[in-house]
Amino acid sequence: MSQEILARLAQSVVDGEPEDAEELAQQALDQGLDPLACINQGLSPGIDRVGELFASGEYFLPDLIIGGDAMKAALAILEPALTGGESRKVVGRVVLGTVEGDLHEIGKTLVGTMLTANGFQVFDIGVDKPASEFVAAVKENGATLVGASALLTTTMLHQQEVVEALKEAGIRDSVKVMVGGAPITDSWAQQIGADGYAEDAISAVALAKNLVGATH
Amino acid sequence: MVRIEPIRSMYHLDVLTPGELEAIQSATLDIMERVGVRFPSERALGVFADFGASVDWTSQVVRLSPEMVRQAMAQAPRMFTLSGRVDDTDLVLDGCQSYFGTDGCGTLTVDLETGRQRPSNKEDVATMARVADHLSSIAFYWPMVSAQDYGKVGPLHEIDASFNNVVKHVQTETVMGEGPARYAVRMAEAIAGSREMLRAKPPLSALICTIAPLGHDKEGLEAAMVYAEAGVPVGFMAMPTMGSTAPAAPGGALVIGNAEAVSAMVLMQLLAPGAPVFQSLLVSGMDPHTADYLVSLPQKYLCNAAAVQMAHDWGVPSLAGSFGLDAAAPATWQLGRDSVYTALLCALAGTDITIGLGMLGASTLLVPEQILFDDEIYHTHRILAQGLDASDEGLALDVIASVGPGGHFLSQKHTRRHLRDVWIPSLTQPRPGTDGRKQPDIRQRARAEFDKILAEHQPEPLEPAVQAELQAILSAAERELAS
Repeated sequence: MSQEILARLAQSVVDGEPEDAEELAQQALDQGLDPLACINQGLSPGIDRVGELFASGEYFLPDLIIGGDAMKAALAILEPALTGGESRKVVGRVVLGTVEGDLHEIGKTLVGTMLTANGFQVFDIGVDKPASEFVAAVKENGATLVGASALLTTTMLHQQEVVEALKEAGIRDSVKVMVGGAPITDSWAQQIGADGYAEDAISAVALAKNLVGATH
Repeated sequence: MVRIEPIRSMYHLDVLTPGELEAIQSATLDIMERVGVRFPSERALGVFADFGASVDWTSQVVRLSPEMVRQAMAQAPRMFTLSGRVDDTDLVLDGCQSYFGTDGCGTLTVDLETGRQRPSNKEDVATMARVADHLSSIAFYWPMVSAQDYGKVGPLHEIDASFNNVVKHVQTETVMGEGPARYAVRMAEAIAGSREMLRAKPPLSALICTIAPLGHDKEGLEAAMVYAEAGVPVGFMAMPTMGSTAPAAPGGALVIGNAEAVSAMVLMQLLAPGAPVFQSLLVSGMDPHTADYLVSLPQKYLCNAAAVQMAHDWGVPSLAGSFGLDAAAPATWQLGRDSVYTALLCALAGTDITIGLGMLGASTLLVPEQILFDDEIYHTHRILAQGLDASDEGLALDVIASVGPGGHFLSQKHTRRHLRDVWIPSLTQPRPGTDGRKQPDIRQRARAEFDKILAEHQPEPLEPAVQAELQAILSAAERELAS
């Protein structure tokens, strides 16, 4: 029975059915299943499969995002049920956001989904966020990676403020910063003292893994 | 899993007004009655004589009254099916969709290993059949090049290489003469399972070229008669060249070609009433300085569309010609310009079947990866012809309302369902935003894709017993025909 529900949880992520995933997570808890097992043996294999299907070209971005939504919906039920000291294994903790004055959401959301699918724990603080909120989120969640998105030539300047704010808060050395967005380039990332730039969500994963590896 | 995606056009283009169509058909009937068409075959002349046509046995010219033409053509079916050898590969010629196939029959191949031109061979036919089996643009397969390594029986080896490597319908355009045609019919029977099944679900059809102006080829006619009697669908393709074998005017070229093709279809109906036949008129032009054969001409594209209208007016399916353009190298501006019109105009005119993806140099030169360029243009045309979806699902009103101002559609199930319908060209790059990245040259990309298909796609094989039967038929043909 427990094996069946774990398989169904995985399938709800593969199929991208957030409602099913949420319901199955609740059922699993009601039946007394270990929430950590539900995450590691249900959701994780599911999101891994989504990643594989995306990598092979069979899945498109919406499949990936909806799969990520399904995982998030189930995690929202399962994580609060984890008992003291227990936590799911993550590759790294990332704070993501779009900088102040910029309302563009999609690029950042895609990066978040890709990172989630690749085992990161993502704290998405949303759009139009001042540098101070990035810093606060890093402190609150113990993140070692920050992703700052900017889609406008007028707002990309705020990416530099995120780097500066981390310095001022005295945590720049323990956090890597990656930047992205349509007007952003490698040389801009270097110029503002960020640690890396990725041109799309796929390469952002490779960059993030690289940076986290460097941090640890 | 083989998939065929025909063009289902929401639009219909008639390039001829009813008056113009009537004028061309009347002129054609007049030419057939007054001038006549040459049939250099005793057997064909005998059939015409038996039915009371005016036959001049010396000049071999047959003159047909409009009544005889009309009565005979009334026997020809407007709708029939060309079958593939597995499920879901049948071509239903009912006027509701346009199916496209490969081009043929060239004599030169750019070698996959050396990159140099060399005479074509049976292996080339097999290689291209495997790729054609994979591509959803290809609904039927013309052996693309000549199996020159098998001499006189090469055309039968082309059929063998085709049936062994593509499950889709095969159409031969090279098997000529009564003897070879009988072997081709036996091969088709082996695939279909029996003589009766061959008639009911023909996996093979044939195309015979006429000889402009106003003539036929003995071997072609005698092969056609074998096919018609066996129930193998047979089409006639006239290829009048404006300026040399036809008047230097599209209308006159159409009349010449029409008289050739229709007179042959009349012969088929006299011989085997109700035999499935189809018409094809490919008008070309003569280079005014060198007399070279030119196909990439706007008049030719217009005639293509007009020919579809004419075939349907006679009450038979139409085979149109697309691609197979003059340029000799892929990925050139010239080829791009000419490709824009080919498939789209044919499909808008409502063609039933159309050749010919994959060839260059006016259908003489096989550059293997060219079929992928044509495939991409084909699908562009397929989408253009299918129109817009203004249904509730297409308008997505609920989805728009639920996302609201400032949101995005990436996480909508509607997006997930429909993003797959948004056809994205796969060869065409760089796309916006990727131009900073180094991309291989477009020919390299096409070649890489070609190699991938060859490496990964395995067509469903014929039953070993059927393969053996084809071999036995080929051996018998070799003993009889090669001597």
